[in-house]
Amino acid sequence: MNAETDKISLMKLADGQKGIIITILGGKSASKRLADLGLTPGVEISVIGRTLFSGPVQVEAGGSRLVLGRGLASKIIVALK
Amino acid sequence: MTDEKKINIVLAGQPNSGKSVVFNFLTGLHQHIGNWPGKTIEKKEGTLFYKGYTIDVLDLPGIYSFTTYSGEEVISREYIIHQKPDFVINIIDSTNLERNLIFTLQLLELECPVIIALNMVDLAKRKGMTIDYNKLQDILNTSVIPTIASRGYGLTGMIDIIIETAGQKRHHEIPRYGKEIENCIEQLSLILNNYELLYPARWIAIKLIEKDNDITRLVNEICPDILEKAKELSENLEEIHGHDSSIVIADERSHMAFQITREITTITSYKKAPVSDRLDSITTHKFAGYIVMIFILGGMFYTVFSFGNWLSGWLDTIFKNLHSWWNSNIGITFFAALVWSAIESIIALVQIALPYILPFYIILYALEDWGYISRIAFLMDNLMHKMGIHGKGCISFIIGLGCNVPGCLSCRILETRRERFITAILVTLVPCSAVSVIVFGLVGKYVGLLWALGLYLFAMILIFIAGRISSRLLSGEPVELIMPMPDYKTPNVKTIVYQTWDALKEFIFIAAPIVIISGVIIQAINLAGWLPAISSFLSPITVNWLGLPAITGILLIFGILRKELILVMLAAYLGTANFSDVLNAQQMITLAIVSMFYIPCVATISVLWKDYGWKKALTICILEILFAIILAGIVKRIIDIVL
Repeated sequence: MNAETDKISLMKLADGQKGIIITILGGKSASKRLADLGLTPGVEISVIGRTLFSGPVQVEAGGSRLVLGRGLASKIIVALK
Repeated sequence: MTDEKKINIVLAGQPNSGKSVVFNFLTGLHQHIGNWPGKTIEKKEGTLFYKGYTIDVLDLPGIYSFTTYSGEEVISREYIIHQKPDFVINIIDSTNLERNLIFTLQLLELECPVIIALNMVDLAKRKGMTIDYNKLQDILNTSVIPTIASRGYGLTGMIDIIIETAGQKRHHEIPRYGKEIENCIEQLSLILNNYELLYPARWIAIKLIEKDNDITRLVNEICPDILEKAKELSENLEEIHGHDSSIVIADERSHMAFQITREITTITSYKKAPVSDRLDSITTHKFAGYIVMIFILGGMFYTVFSFGNWLSGWLDTIFKNLHSWWNSNIGITFFAALVWSAIESIIALVQIALPYILPFYIILYALEDWGYISRIAFLMDNLMHKMGIHGKGCISFIIGLGCNVPGCLSCRILETRRERFITAILVTLVPCSAVSVIVFGLVGKYVGLLWALGLYLFAMILIFIAGRISSRLLSGEPVELIMPMPDYKTPNVKTIVYQTWDALKEFIFIAAPIVIISGVIIQAINLAGWLPAISSFLSPITVNWLGLPAITGILLIFGILRKELILVMLAAYLGTANFSDVLNAQQMITLAIVSMFYIPCVATISVLWKDYGWKKALTICILEILFAIILAGIVKRIIDIVL
C-alpha cells in the first residue's frame, strides 16, 4: 500500500471522483465552519463540478451539496477512494 | 407564572429549511418585522390565535451552529437560554437530513424543549429517501412531525401537539459523546454545578472544550480556576485525536448525525428527478452556465425595465395632473411650494418603488426560491474573489442594478463586516435604474447605443478596479465561500409575496424620511433664489473643468435626491426635451459619467450611514465626488483629442 501518495488536495480530484477527508489544513475557524456543515475527517466527499479557471468546486458529502471556494477546497486533504 | 393560554414558540433551523414558510403559515398577517436591539439583524415576530390560545412565534435567523462565528448565532443561543421559550421548533430540511441533524444535536445540547418538524418530506421522497420519523422520535425522545410547509401539511398537527404538551416537563435525550469527551465534560460539570449559572452546566462544559470565546470570558469572571482545568483537559483530547479540541467535538457531532441518518433512512430508489438534474448540470456548467446566466439576468432586466417604463410613464401623467390640480387649488405660495416638494419626494419614491423595485424584487425572490441565486454565486465566485469578496457579493451587485438602496441592504447576508463594507462601496458604483435612465436617455439616444453600452462596460471595469483597491486597503482576510447548494424546487408564491412585501417596506422606511427632508431643503434653497449663486460658485468645476453648461451645477445638486432628476430638470430648465439642441455628444458623455459616479443618492447614503456609521458614509461620498469630477474631466480631454 502506498498510502502517502494517495493523499491529495480536494482541488485535485477530477469531477465525479470520490475521496475520504483525511485532514483540513489551515485555520481553526475554517475547519469549524466546515465541520458545522458536516465536512470532518473520515467523511466521504465527491466533486460534482467546478467553474472556469479552477474556480470554486461543487461537492457532495453526507447527502448534501456544497460549494467551496478554491482556497478552502485546496486545504481539504483527501485520500482517493 | 405566565398566562395559561399563552405559549411562546421559537422557530430554529438552518437556512433553506423552510423556516420562513412555516412562519408565514403560522402567523399570516399577524407579523412584525424589526431589528434585534443594536444589530442590523432582522427579527421576525408574529402571533397565532388558535383554539383559544395566543401563540407568540419568533423566527430566529437561519444558522448552522451555535458558535460565536456570527451575530445571528450569538443572538439565537442567548435568546433560547435567557427567554426560555415554551418550545423550540426545529425545522429540518429532510432532503439534507444529515447536515440538518448536526444543528439539531446542538439545539438539544441547550437543554430546551425541542419539537422537530421534518420538513419537505415530499421532496425527500422524490429523491428516493424514506425517513422513519418514529425511530427518530425514539432516538431523540422528542416529538417529530413530518411536514410539507409549502402546502401547510402537518403544521396544524404540530400546533396541536404544542398545545397538548404545553406546561408539561419534557426530557429529551441529550447527545452523548465518546468516552474521553464525556469524561472531560463530567469533570468540568462537577465543578460548574457549584455555581449559579445562566446556562446548563453541561453546555458550558462543552463550550469550554470548544474554546468558545464568550463562554470562556463568562467563566473567567466567575471562577478562573475552571479555565485551567478546561485547558488541561482540552490539550489532553488534542493529544489523543491529533487536532483542535473544538474540531474533536464537531467531528463527534457530525458522526452522530451520520449514524442517526443511517439508522432512520432507507434509500428506496436513488434516482434524482431527471429534469431538475439536467437543469442543474446546465446551469452550473463551465460554459453553458454563464450563457444561461446572461439570458436569465438579461431577461430579468428587460422585463423589469419595459414594465417599469410603461408604468412610470402612466404614473407620470397622474402625478402631473395632481400637480396642476395642486397649483390651481392650493395656489403657488412659498409655503405651498414647500409642502408640494415634500409630496413630490413621496411621489418620487413611489415612482421608483412601484414600477422598478417591486417587479425587480418579485423576480429576484422567485429566482432565489427556485434555487437559482446560489448558482449565480457559484459561477461568479472566481471573479468576485479577485475583488476580495466571494460569490454571494454578486447578488448585491445584481440588486444594485435595480436600485442601490436594496443593493446595499442586501450586503448584510455576507459573513464579515469587512466584506459587507467592500461590497456596499462597490454597489454604490453600480449603475442603478435611475442612472440607466440618464445613460440611455442621453447618451444612448443622442450619441449612440454602443456608447451607452460602452459606459456600462466602463462602470464594470471601474468596479473591478475599485474592488481590488479597497480589498487591499481595508485590513483583514478575505472569507472563502462556503455555501450549501439547494436543489431546484417549485417557487412558493406566498413566500415570494411575503419577502417582496418586507423588502419593499424596508426600502420605503429607510428612504422616505431622508428623501423628503432633503427634497424640502433643496426646494427651500431654490425658492430663496440661491440656486444661481450655487451654479456660478460651481462653475469652475462644471464649466471650466468639465466643459458643461453652468446650469449642470444645479442639476447635480438635485441629482443627489434621485439621479434621474438630472435629466428631468435639464429638460425643465432648458424648456426642451431635445437635449441635442443644448449639449454636444462630448458633453453628454461627460455628464453621464459624472451622474453615474459622483455621489450615491441620499437614500443610499442613509443606508450606508445606518449600517456603517456616518464617518464611513461621508468618506465614501467625498471620495466619489472627487473621483467622478477628476475622471469625467480626464475623459472629456481624451474625447477632445480623439474626436
